[in-house]
Amino acid sequence: MKLLTPFLLILVTALFVWVSSDLPARGDLQAPASVHVSPDYTVQTEEAIGIPNLVSAILADFRSYDTLGETFVVFTAGIAVILVLGAGSSAAGAAREEDET
Amino acid sequence: MSNRYDSVILHFIVRILLIPFILIFAIYVLIHGEASPGGGFQAGAIFAAAALLGRLTLGQQQSSDRYPTALLVVVASIGLVIYAGTGVVSMFAGANYLDYDALPVLWFNDVASHIRSARAIGIFIIEIGVFLGVFSILTVLYDHLSERE
Repeated sequence: MKLLTPFLLILVTALFVWVSSDLPARGDLQAPASVHVSPDYTVQTEEAIGIPNLVSAILADFRSYDTLGETFVVFTAGIAVILVLGAGSSAAGAAREEDET
Repeated sequence: MSNRYDSVILHFIVRILLIPFILIFAIYVLIHGEASPGGGFQAGAIFAAAALLGRLTLGQQQSSDRYPTALLVVVASIGLVIYAGTGVVSMFAGANYLDYDALPVLWFNDVASHIRSARAIGIFIIEIGVFLGVFSILTVLYDHLSERE
């Protein structure tokens, strides 16, 4: 099995390199990713939203539900860590330690 | 990790030079999020870096007095309420959830230096909410992960 792993890795790497030759060139305006909706976003965002930063406009306005969800994910992660590791404030932890001793 | 390092040079560099600069840079990234690379997530991470730097060098105890953990959870909740509440306000104004066009915020242009659309102001408001949430949660994560000896 240990001998098989490098061969598999080389095989997969060769496959990726071979496939990547089919990808469109960087900055190609005729690439599929550049001809569907992205010209609309690029041209109309500043007029529609009123801010010059395309990334912020998409993040906070067109995809604001997504960003709301991301913020809730970060918040939930913090709450989970507090509940699993901290169990409240450090004052509560000190009080609990005093109870135990 | 929670001990205080008694070094004059370290304290001078961190408290006088580094932390104020990092805090100001975080606010800069937040305010200019509409015009340049940046925004709520990045500003929150930078602001949390300043808080964590204080905790690493000045000691957990002294730094925790400045940003108490219990307060940080409240601040994170306030940030989320700002974000979600912005959507609710626009619903009450007659538009869809999180549709900033309907927000009653255009009075802000009277006190600001340049005219902005309601959407730009709405984006700024939710960026503040994201900033508060991310900064508080990152600091809280460090507090609780480093408390365990």
